[in-house]
Amino acid sequence: MIESIVRATLLGVQSGMILALIAAGLTLIFGMLDVINFAHGALYMLGAYFGSVIAVELGSFWLALLLAPLLVGVVGIAIEVFSLRPLYGRNPLYHILLTFGFAIMIQGAVVQIWGGQARQIAQPALLTGTLSLGVVDYPVYRLFVLAISTALIGGVWLAIDRSNLGIIMRASAHDTEMVDALGIDVSKVFTGVFVLGAVLAGLAGVLLGASRSVNPGMGMGIIIEAFVIVVIGGLGSFRGAVFSALLIGLVTSYGALIAPTLTDLALFGLMAIVLMVKPNGLFGATEAA
Amino acid sequence: MMPVFELLRDDDKARTGNQILSRPGRILLVVGILGLAAAGPIAGSIQPFWVNLLVRMLAFALLALSLDFVFGYAGLLSFGHAAMYGAGGYTAALLVGQVTPNALVVLPASVLVGVVVAALIGWLSVRARGIYFAMLTLAFAQLLYVVVFTDLPATVAGVETVTGGDNGLYGIGSYELAGIGFGDPLAYYFLTLALVALSLAGLIRLANSPFGRVVQGIRENEERIEFIGYDVQRYKVIAFAISGGFAGLAGGLYVPFQSVANPGLLHWTVSGELVVMVLLGGMGTLWGPMVGAGLVVFLEDRLGGVASWEVILGTLFVLVVIFAPRGIAGALISLRDDPSGAVDNVKQALKNYVREVRD
Repeated sequence: MIESIVRATLLGVQSGMILALIAAGLTLIFGMLDVINFAHGALYMLGAYFGSVIAVELGSFWLALLLAPLLVGVVGIAIEVFSLRPLYGRNPLYHILLTFGFAIMIQGAVVQIWGGQARQIAQPALLTGTLSLGVVDYPVYRLFVLAISTALIGGVWLAIDRSNLGIIMRASAHDTEMVDALGIDVSKVFTGVFVLGAVLAGLAGVLLGASRSVNPGMGMGIIIEAFVIVVIGGLGSFRGAVFSALLIGLVTSYGALIAPTLTDLALFGLMAIVLMVKPNGLFGATEAA
Repeated sequence: MMPVFELLRDDDKARTGNQILSRPGRILLVVGILGLAAAGPIAGSIQPFWVNLLVRMLAFALLALSLDFVFGYAGLLSFGHAAMYGAGGYTAALLVGQVTPNALVVLPASVLVGVVVAALIGWLSVRARGIYFAMLTLAFAQLLYVVVFTDLPATVAGVETVTGGDNGLYGIGSYELAGIGFGDPLAYYFLTLALVALSLAGLIRLANSPFGRVVQGIRENEERIEFIGYDVQRYKVIAFAISGGFAGLAGGLYVPFQSVANPGLLHWTVSGELVVMVLLGGMGTLWGPMVGAGLVVFLEDRLGGVASWEVILGTLFVLVVIFAPRGIAGALISLRDDPSGAVDNVKQALKNYVREVRD
């Protein structure tokens, strides 16, 4: 009993932190760029596929973990510069249509290039096996994922909260024109934010790709979960995204203990309840712009 | 609220929204419907398969029409229209399979279920605005998807199966009406065309009615309508419910024709594609989204054989958003207003694009 609860808690926190990596990018992009990025799941999937190819070709998980997210970042730059940039200031609906188009496009390209079968990313030898934590034995790889995603989330939070760049980012989310008037190239900041989100999604793709399978459905599957998280936390709120990612991670893993078929129901039910009580999410601004 | 919506309003809505009401526009619509009526038998004589495709195009056109009424006219972005579509579809599947194939019973039931589901979702969601409204409708639609997928009704009622779960319901027969069977695709095509035409006429009337004016007023300026003394929330819920009825009808037409109802009908990607169809066609014009939906279904079908149709479709969406944000309807209207300026417009759009990217 205690064992399964501890296990579910660990699993919940770990999958929550991974979800936080994806949701953080999504919420930052919305907060700064006012863009609902439907292609975020596709970028995550792209990270997993790039990772699986690099892991096979170069034979190293670590190189995959390093290079795949950077490649996803390059794709992110291309999307931001060539398609989003001309659309800023327009109705956000257009961003939905645009990024939905990219999501379909990337998914189609992935099936075209790598086929419909699931692929694998081999876990590095260093991280195989389990570690005894007293009550439970837990896979080392999952502990590694927990550690690295927590470190990344902490790092991003510190960067946003403390660094000069973070101040510029928050300021341009608040008042783009003023920041522009102060002589800061806001469009570069926007590109940077989008790429940061893409890289985080790509990283999550590689990390999860090595513990689950890499398949063409993974992008469309995760994007809705990430949306639910971001909306519960409050669109644009970084704290909110991390908090509700952990919440959803735990709800899902405890739910799997109690009633596996109903966890999805709980997910959307939770979102509906939160939005009806707090229409702008838990950490959202009091009045949505 | 949402100042962003105003950007669309100024140049798009006032003009494209009224086009459909003009006399030449109506004549064009009647000609179009007559043309489609003639196209059915011709397409069928060439290759029976084409009739099948036409019926699917019409069903999605009706669905896009229903979304455009609530999205283009009332300004409510629904990201959960698949819920009403699927609910209507499953209603038809269950009734035709177990009660009666009488179209006069089943189709009104599909409409009614669509209205009820939409009224419920609308009532729970209208307090939220803009993107949050969209996300709430998405959440409720996904809830319904999970309910159907896991066959929750069967678990609750303690019977073996209701929705058929993951597999859905198979072998659903076609409609009957006063002794006439609609098993023949061409007959089904005429039934669908007639209902789609009626729906379009009905929604155009509704958009022009005092009710429609209030709804458009809410889209333009919610606060003002509220100060005048209208119950804005109630109007929104009613508009959403009406839209849901037409979405339910689309589901009721689609499912018996395909003879399959599966949970995929309710999946969020259906809602997403629907929004894309509406924007591609030109929101707020009623006819534009129908053209957009027909085109997307047509392309999906035709390009399905080509290996990378998704890449082509995705690229098309991206290009439309960047270069023709008012959709097909917008492009056609500006072409009609100023045929000689078309080349200049294209040049200007390209120049703007390059400037924006460099900026």
